[in-house]
Amino acid sequence: MDYVIHLFILINIYIILTTSTNLLVGTVNMLSLGQAAFYGIGAYLSVLALLSFNWPLFPSLLFAMVGTGLISFLISYPSIRLKGDYFVLATLGFQLIVYTILYNWVSVTRGPYGITGIPSPKLFGSIEIAGLWPFLILSTVLTIMVVVIFYNLIHSPFGRALRGVRDDELSMKALGKNVNRLKIYTFAISSAFIAVSGFLYATYVSYIDPTSFNLDESIFILSALIVGGLGNIRGPVIGALFVIILPEALRFMGLPDNVAANLRQIIYGLALILLMRYRPQGIAGTYAIK
Amino acid sequence: METDILTIQALTKSFSRKIMNSDGGEDDEQYWIIKDLFLNVPRGKVIALIGGNGAGKTTLFNIISGFVKPDSGSIIFKGDGCESELLKMQPHLIAQMGLGRMFQDNHIFGEMSVLDNMLIANSLNSSENPVSALLFKKRLKRDEVKRTEKTAQIFDTFFGKESPFWEKRYVPAGTLSYGQQRLLGLARLFMREYQLLLLDEPSSGVNPEVIEQIKVLIRRFTEQNQTVLLIEHNLDVVQDIADFCCYMDQGRITLMGTPADVIGNEDVRKSYVGF
Repeated sequence: MDYVIHLFILINIYIILTTSTNLLVGTVNMLSLGQAAFYGIGAYLSVLALLSFNWPLFPSLLFAMVGTGLISFLISYPSIRLKGDYFVLATLGFQLIVYTILYNWVSVTRGPYGITGIPSPKLFGSIEIAGLWPFLILSTVLTIMVVVIFYNLIHSPFGRALRGVRDDELSMKALGKNVNRLKIYTFAISSAFIAVSGFLYATYVSYIDPTSFNLDESIFILSALIVGGLGNIRGPVIGALFVIILPEALRFMGLPDNVAANLRQIIYGLALILLMRYRPQGIAGTYAIK
Repeated sequence: METDILTIQALTKSFSRKIMNSDGGEDDEQYWIIKDLFLNVPRGKVIALIGGNGAGKTTLFNIISGFVKPDSGSIIFKGDGCESELLKMQPHLIAQMGLGRMFQDNHIFGEMSVLDNMLIANSLNSSENPVSALLFKKRLKRDEVKRTEKTAQIFDTFFGKESPFWEKRYVPAGTLSYGQQRLLGLARLFMREYQLLLLDEPSSGVNPEVIEQIKVLIRRFTEQNQTVLLIEHNLDVVQDIADFCCYMDQGRITLMGTPADVIGNEDVRKSYVGF
């Protein structure tokens, strides 16, 4: 049973990651390779609030979200003017910079040794969220909140404006829309909510190091989203389920661990190729990436 | 007193292009797409711009809309109670001031529904932010209902009660026929009260029935005291709906007058009409 609860907690963390990334990639068509960097920033800021400031759950979570959102705002200002491949390369550069900083700023992040002993978050300063069941409840509540928030964003005039930017930037400007501002909002919101995943991961595993937030992780998040589908809420949820349940399913096939790990990568790759060929909008998405 | 809504003075735009020299190498040559252009656009009229391909008509529209920056010159827009130099402004601010634009290609939002294409044209920037989306849902819903009613009214007025647009309001706009997409692009401009409309070849590639509908729509703009600056190759359309006509050649307006005068001019006929 503990194993199933553990899986559901991971699924929740990845639903938040893919749903947040979907606003950027699926709604505005800003393909980002820097999502793991924001995931890492959120995790490290959470640890700072919990360990150094000894803050309870919600202030720590809010601190991580606002901090990550502000950093993404600063990054977005020069980068949103870049289009297509140039934007992708800018986010890749950002990912590499953040990873390098996390790895080498040993006095703050403890670099490759990672940070251990991250305390469980405390609700209202006294109720400790420790153990699998409380964590499942916390992660599920946060996931539902995030999904509801993104559903409302996508199905509002704001979401429609973002789809307008995705479809035809020129027309949006001709209709009097401030396209750059819409992109900055999107970038900041997406990053701020990715920090929720960072908070959950850091407090659940109680240990973080930079390797959890490297380029591989960014590609993994993006793959999960593209496999699940872009442009709506169903797609990211299905993508998260797919990437978490698949390796566990392979485990039950009795394959040796090293074979299962490689097979998993092959299946992800194959799924991406087949989907790009036959269903570019993903399993349950409404929008095909361009 | 009748005033000009737009005053363009000494507008110049050049591009640098490579040309082959006698040694087989390449030299840079300055190519003037707009050269020392002057134009006054009278308020509440339809002004047609005609001219051959490469005369600079669409570039002129792109400069007025803020999408292309010129080398020099001035464009003064005199809207209701305001006077602004457009060359210092971003495209979205120019549009917010009351300049509507219809592009040569169908720049509708193909993956959005027909209704969303209309609603997005009327949404205020203040309602298109994440805070409103999460905290003021009731107000947004009320505003959306009003916009939907306005859309229904526009479709009824211009395309009749049994128009395909209202029936297909939830269908992706990209699935409409080319002519219907052109009409949708024009109908969208009625969602806001623009003062000056820049229409780039609205009748190109559509059948005579749609052309008649397009003419009705353009006339309606001027009935509402809106000004229309129109690029048009169909000279019958120009003669039917334009109050004034400008002939553009090599980046300059070389002739301006009534459509009959300009189209009937011998030089224009030789160089543009071809007989």
